[in-house]
Amino acid sequence: MPKINEIIGSAAAIAKGMSVTFREMLNPSITDLYPDAPPLFEERYRGVHVLQRDENGMEKCVACFLCSAACPSECIYIEAAENTDPKRISGGERYASVYNIDYNRCIFCGYCVEACPTDAITHGHGFEIASYNTATLIYRKEQLLAPLPPGAQVPLVVNEEPVGAGH
Amino acid sequence: MAELVTLTIDGAQVQAEKGALLIDVCKARGIEIPAFCYYEGLALQAACRMCLVEVEKMPKLQPGCTLPVAEGMVVKTDTPVIHEARKSMLEFLLANHPLDCPVCDKGGECELQDMTFRYGLGESRFLENKHHVDEQQWSPVVFFDRPRCILCYRCVRICDEGVGVDALGVVQRGVVSAIAPSHGDHLECDECGMCIDICPVGALTSGMYRYKTRPWEMNHVGTICTHCSNGCKTTLGVRGGQVIRANNRDHSGINGEFLCVKGRFGWDFVNSTERAQSPMLRTNGRLEPVSWSRALMTVARKLNEVKQRGGRVGFIASNHTSNEENYYLQKLARQGLRSNNIDHHRTGDVVTLIDALAGRTDALATVADLYAAKASLVIASDLAQQQPLLHFQLRANWRHHRSRTYVVTPGPVRERKFAVKSLHAEPGRELDAVESLRDDLSKEPELVILFGDAIQGDAVRRLVAFGDSLGIPVKYVCLLDYSNSRGAIDMGLAPGLLPGYRPVAEAGLEPGMTIAEMLADASLDVLWVVGANPLRNARLAAENAFVVVNEMFLAETAQRADVIFPAASAYEKEGTVTNVCGEVQSLKKALKVMGAKTDLEIFGLVAAEMGIDLGPFQPGAVFEEIRREVRGYNVSLPVIATGGAAQSVPLNGRVPALTRAELIQSARDTLFTSGTLGRYSKNLTSVLEHPGKLYASGIETP
Ligand code: SF4
Ligand code: SF4
Ligand code: SF4
Ligand code: SF4
Ligand code: SF4
Ligand code: FES
Repeated sequence: MPKINEIIGSAAAIAKGMSVTFREMLNPSITDLYPDAPPLFEERYRGVHVLQRDENGMEKCVACFLCSAACPSECIYIEAAENTDPKRISGGERYASVYNIDYNRCIFCGYCVEACPTDAITHGHGFEIASYNTATLIYRKEQLLAPLPPGAQVPLVVNEEPVGAGH
Repeated sequence: MAELVTLTIDGAQVQAEKGALLIDVCKARGIEIPAFCYYEGLALQAACRMCLVEVEKMPKLQPGCTLPVAEGMVVKTDTPVIHEARKSMLEFLLANHPLDCPVCDKGGECELQDMTFRYGLGESRFLENKHHVDEQQWSPVVFFDRPRCILCYRCVRICDEGVGVDALGVVQRGVVSAIAPSHGDHLECDECGMCIDICPVGALTSGMYRYKTRPWEMNHVGTICTHCSNGCKTTLGVRGGQVIRANNRDHSGINGEFLCVKGRFGWDFVNSTERAQSPMLRTNGRLEPVSWSRALMTVARKLNEVKQRGGRVGFIASNHTSNEENYYLQKLARQGLRSNNIDHHRTGDVVTLIDALAGRTDALATVADLYAAKASLVIASDLAQQQPLLHFQLRANWRHHRSRTYVVTPGPVRERKFAVKSLHAEPGRELDAVESLRDDLSKEPELVILFGDAIQGDAVRRLVAFGDSLGIPVKYVCLLDYSNSRGAIDMGLAPGLLPGYRPVAEAGLEPGMTIAEMLADASLDVLWVVGANPLRNARLAAENAFVVVNEMFLAETAQRADVIFPAASAYEKEGTVTNVCGEVQSLKKALKVMGAKTDLEIFGLVAAEMGIDLGPFQPGAVFEEIRREVRGYNVSLPVIATGGAAQSVPLNGRVPALTRAELIQSARDTLFTSGTLGRYSKNLTSVLEHPGKLYASGIETP
């Protein structure tokens, strides 16, 4: 008797398990088809950084070094330079002539984004940065910058109108 | 002992000197009273109202920065009313403040940031647009951003009271009042940058540091300025192998907050593109870059060859190299090559002074003495131009202690503004003028005498005899030109003197040739010039002499060289230097410039290549030897290692009379020149006052 009970019990368990399987087979798939199809990201996914531009196409980063100060893995390297009238790169008086992020070390914590007073450094959704050569993991400003808005040119020559609202 | 009063601060009984300022009494007790306009040592201003405190029986809040303590006073510094007042003051200061901290060069070390963080409100009720005024450039080194200014008048006061130049003032009144420069839209001043340093906010900023980096990004290396002989401590901000700025960040050292234009801005020669970065060897008449080993070997072979055939070798040493390097060089010359032909450009007659003071140990003044002495006498020197720190000290002494200064100079000098007596004396007649001050001087309780190169040889002895005859304690400073002029003579870089002013006969040698004699000696075989430029306005008589040069820049002497060793500057090495008052201080290595080696390394490597054993050539080991061997240099190691200054006192015996006539002459540098080195500092040559521009056009320094 105990043997029969055991068999029935097992069959019931299998049937129960398979019922989940069959039910799911009829539902639409939620698996990403990456790399055959582009992956989907949550809005706030923290991927490879993007250095943003303002509506005129000027770089938002004013080289304040706050991101690099906030970074726990010390992977942001900046060199600052002064904007001049003929050559205007950012909206402030200063811009980053060099801006590197070392993705060998970045832990995608987002502290830099949090620290930035001008919302210049943001996380993008890029993640395909694996490489056989660690040297290529140091991203330069040119790789991080957002594309220019249509119609803008670099370096930008701005119409210097008196700024009423302070700096 | 001054009268003491007892008062109550935040419930605690406190004793303090009567008349002391409440803010100072609190600071000494570790109670912080926030302040912007109050600055120790400057006149009281009471402009910012940040320091308000509650005092019982006084109807309103009182500014702690001008309130003298009195018996029975009951003070509170930490009440809701005070917190409210501080918040309002900050809100008011920030009403038109741009708050562009991310691009402001003061960000990270800004007192307004700190105060707002600590005492501020966090938000403002002012929603109006801020009034923008464009930034102004007042000189190559000073920029002014008016909306950031909080009108604390610190800059005005430091320039007027501290430096004595009075180049900044206030225009307009009330809400439109603003700081303005002396000459319309620009500054004509000492360009010392003291105003930039003292400004609590980013209103005055440095043209050299402008938008380069941020304070926390730099390494701060406290070392000794490599220009004049005063030996100011300067903190170099270094990032990525480049010097970015200099200031005396922690106000340590003998100079406190003071730095002149050279100490604060004259560091850029270090990263000059004209620096020699590879050894050079003359091949077929042209200087070609070669490897270090080839250059070292060539020099070592030449020296050995000349030594073997008993040829003549001469050394012209530097006013800028460290004590260790000087000591090692004279060892190389004397022990290695049995040659006493070693000399340097002498800029003041320390030797005779030390001899005249033989047997005394308290007759050499320190930089601190100049601030403390009741009276001082300046003879034949334009201190403000040539000895900026000493001038600053005398001035501060007059400001704070009403000390009495006497001046005897051939022309007008800035000290005359505060001197009790200034006499005009033709060159050569200074001592007559000094004699006429006898009655005044003998009434002083004590005296410090500073004298320039016009007083040398016998005149020094007569001056000391005069000092002795006054019947009061007298201390002396023999004025010299460059950062280690004193160390050069102390370390025996003279043809007749061993280190510590001992006669060369002690080493069994005959006195050698002076610079002039070496240059005129047609049979000289090798001339080794270390960090000096003797051929700038002289000729080398020995046409065929083999010339070795340790240099940073290919100036006149280097052009004549057969071998050039690229040398490291004082900012790139460890070691010690001795200032004009004999105070020994240590250099700290701030950076490394590719290709260059320190002079000590060069001497050591050449000696090793020649097969001579002169001992290890590490700065620490050599300094140990100096402390053992050189009279007066047994100074306290902990003092020096912790960045202090220890005076060397070589005054315990007679100095042998020098048998040869020696040329002692100051180079007469101004505040804006620094020998050959200064020519390679773009920062220095860019200011309007640099000789050839404003200075030469006859404008009197104020
Ligand atoms: S995400 Fe984190 S680790 Fe990466 S750069 Fe930003 S602060 Fe640094
Ligand atoms: S990215 Fe932002 S935080 Fe970083 S330097 Fe630029 S402006 Fe400053
Ligand atoms: S002065 Fe201070 S508070 Fe004002 S913008 Fe500069 S850093 Fe910020
Ligand atoms: S410029 Fe600076 S030091 Fe001068 S008054 Fe303004 S805030 Fe004070
Ligand atoms: S006074 Fe002399 S030592 Fe001091 S900063 Fe100026 S040049 Fe340098
Ligand atoms: S510190 Fe007292 S009023 Fe400014």
